[in-house]
Amino acid sequence: MAETSYPKLQETIWHEKLDNGLEVFVLPKPGFTKTYATFTTRYGSVDNHFIPPGGQPIKVPDGIAHFLEHKMFEEPEGDIFSTFASQGASANAYTSFDRTVYLFTATHEVAANLDTLLHFVQNPYFTDENVEKEKGIIVQEIDMYKDNPDWRVYFGLIEAMYSKHPVHIDIAGTAESVRSITKEMLYDCYHTFYHPTNMTLFVVGGVDPKETLEQVKRDQAGKTFPPGGEIKRLFEPEPDEVTTEKKELQLPVSLPKCLFGFKEEQTEGGDAVRRELASKLMLEALLGSSSALYQQLYDDNLISDGFGHEYNTGPGYSFSMIGGETRDPDELVSRVSDALYAAARDGIAPEIFERTRRKRIGSFLRMMNSPESIASEFTRYRHLGGDLFTLVEVYESLTLEEVNARLKEHANPDRRAISIVRSGNA
Amino acid sequence: MSEQFQRGTWGRMRLHVLPTKRFKTFAVSLFAGVPLTEERLTSVALTPFVLRRGTKSYPETIQFRERLDELYGAGFGFDLYKRGDHQIVQFRLDIINDRFVSVTESLLGEALSFLGEVLTAPALENGKFRNKYAEAEKTTVSKRIDAMINDKIRYAAERCVEEMCKDEPYRLPALGRKEQLADLNAESLHAAYRQWLQEASFDLYVSGDTTLDEVQDFVARSFALPEGSPSTYSPPQLRAARSEVQTIVEKLDVGQGKLNMGLRVGSTYGSDQYAALLVYNGLLGGFPHSKLFVNVREKASLAYYASSRLDGHKGIMTLQSGVEIVNYERAVKIIREQLDAMKAGDFAIEDLKRTQAMIVNQLRELQDSAFERIGFDFSNVLSGVERTGDSFIAEIQAVTPEMVTAVAQSVELDTIYFLRDRKGEA
Repeated sequence: MAETSYPKLQETIWHEKLDNGLEVFVLPKPGFTKTYATFTTRYGSVDNHFIPPGGQPIKVPDGIAHFLEHKMFEEPEGDIFSTFASQGASANAYTSFDRTVYLFTATHEVAANLDTLLHFVQNPYFTDENVEKEKGIIVQEIDMYKDNPDWRVYFGLIEAMYSKHPVHIDIAGTAESVRSITKEMLYDCYHTFYHPTNMTLFVVGGVDPKETLEQVKRDQAGKTFPPGGEIKRLFEPEPDEVTTEKKELQLPVSLPKCLFGFKEEQTEGGDAVRRELASKLMLEALLGSSSALYQQLYDDNLISDGFGHEYNTGPGYSFSMIGGETRDPDELVSRVSDALYAAARDGIAPEIFERTRRKRIGSFLRMMNSPESIASEFTRYRHLGGDLFTLVEVYESLTLEEVNARLKEHANPDRRAISIVRSGNA
Repeated sequence: MSEQFQRGTWGRMRLHVLPTKRFKTFAVSLFAGVPLTEERLTSVALTPFVLRRGTKSYPETIQFRERLDELYGAGFGFDLYKRGDHQIVQFRLDIINDRFVSVTESLLGEALSFLGEVLTAPALENGKFRNKYAEAEKTTVSKRIDAMINDKIRYAAERCVEEMCKDEPYRLPALGRKEQLADLNAESLHAAYRQWLQEASFDLYVSGDTTLDEVQDFVARSFALPEGSPSTYSPPQLRAARSEVQTIVEKLDVGQGKLNMGLRVGSTYGSDQYAALLVYNGLLGGFPHSKLFVNVREKASLAYYASSRLDGHKGIMTLQSGVEIVNYERAVKIIREQLDAMKAGDFAIEDLKRTQAMIVNQLRELQDSAFERIGFDFSNVLSGVERTGDSFIAEIQAVTPEMVTAVAQSVELDTIYFLRDRKGEA
């Protein structure tokens, strides 16, 4: 059991890797009423082609990681939500490109709820009947997202950028792919990706770290797992170029929605966390709400308050995403792109760099008030090979030269893609 | 729950200070409420948009936002919403505690000075708002109003309430009306703003490592409010449901139907039955073990979401679900059966206990979020009751099956609203 303190943040985290391979982290928050726990598998929508330890390559239907997430809540004794509710806990789960996260929050009976979390995630129960029944529900979930223009324009951009990498496949799959899922496939995925060696437990809140770690150790010692091994994830090579420069679709919206961004070449190694923070700082400095460009675009009625930017990175992909609603997508894209290319040439002004650094540190510290965000971001940064609790130091060590170099590398006109959603009659 | 609000007043403003060392930030909320009226609806809605453009000391928007960046990326924003028959403007500031950074000035003092200027010393020209800001923000509000249609789930929910309350102030949208925007200009809006400062109820909340004395001191230096004493909120008018349920069908280009129902409930946040009503709502549709989720989603596989929401300040409840269009009648039938079952007292004691445990958990959890504690306390101010987290938990725990069945008798369906595609017959 190891203990790491971060005096600057006034936080101490406890950590242990158990004999079965499970990584456990506990962050005590003295004085907090609530405890929040996440049980995460490094398995998401992109893991659709793989070789289980000692097995043969398997290709699975789109949306299966998400389907599996839905089905985990069903146990022979019934719906696990009811068990959590009896113990006053609120449970949930979500699936992203590269993770599936099961979680609960509770203010009472934390130990019982933690047992329930470990139990249900490590106890799959799939039948032909319950798998079939879930399909109707998931198809309605897919249809709900189809009516959502923000989701459509977001996914449209990823589709415009990526053709081979499975990041371009909708996390929930399609009605057709979902209908082809069987309980056997679910078990194959489960046994491959839900092994303790592929999972992380994170507990944050008003808990005693030693007691919590001991409880998890006892629980895991009482369960047997086959030996773990390396999971090989198979990815077809992704071309450096975008799939299509511009992708448009029609939905009823008050103004066109437009997102665009730059797809990055995949480089092996390097400091992924540092690259992510430098990229975010660079985008904020140039496009944030206090930038000159933002104000000009707002004054020209080209953007609204929803205009924003993000930088996404994961296994085998990284790209920026910029935009919002606009009266004129073409003009917006060309004005922002030109400004980015000019800044790549001329560099970011030192005082803007410093102010933005301050802003990023402040927003990081504000995020640290939220146990939910800490748990989610901690696991994400760990998968990137970093440590959430040292991000302030990374921000402080970033140099202007480094961020300018990042910008030169990123703002590549040949790697730009655009996604637009607009009304049929517009 | 030893942390308690300290209360004071400064002129027309009530002050509520929650001294606590648990958070890394100071959380500041300023509520300004007036009765909802057709006449001033739009000017009140437009006011915060103009106020966030510039102040006396930071007249240019870019200076205004740079100032927030300098304050370590202070989070600043505002919301507009309805509570009961009132239109509330809420300003929010979230700023990091000085102890995490090296600064000489008090960040809380700087933040309150900033907020004081935003509210009481805006950027002016010739004794009125800047023309440029008034005109630009009219466009912004107009776009926001138009954008209501983008999110079909929210749009359907708003339309349902609008139809149900078409003879009451509550029909009015918190963002105002587009057709009234055209009549406002920098001068008339400034006059309306002066009037609003004279008449609104103001409540300032501060949570963090501070005291009432310190806050009072900062406020006296920063808020130039008109003389007077704080005004109070009047209770909402309760209405009975229509004698015959009205059904509204609207057509848009959607793939999935959005089914919403509006109901009248016999009591409000301030009443003694509120705890039983909240438990009723939880049993019906607040959680995954609730009747709507279990029967519409899990048993019939008709929907991904099916839930109920209680608006205790207005005394109404809304139900929402996304269903395939052909399943509209089936879904309505199943939902009405659940309402009837509640009236007949047909629910399991275990489910009642689960619901109580979940609500108690939510009430305990909100202690860990400064803004949620503030929101809970402000509900007391709005309703003229004095509930603490602990007293409300005791009320929830004391709810019996008979009490739930009794409040169920007062819940009446008023409006069914269905948003569907353009195909077929209505």
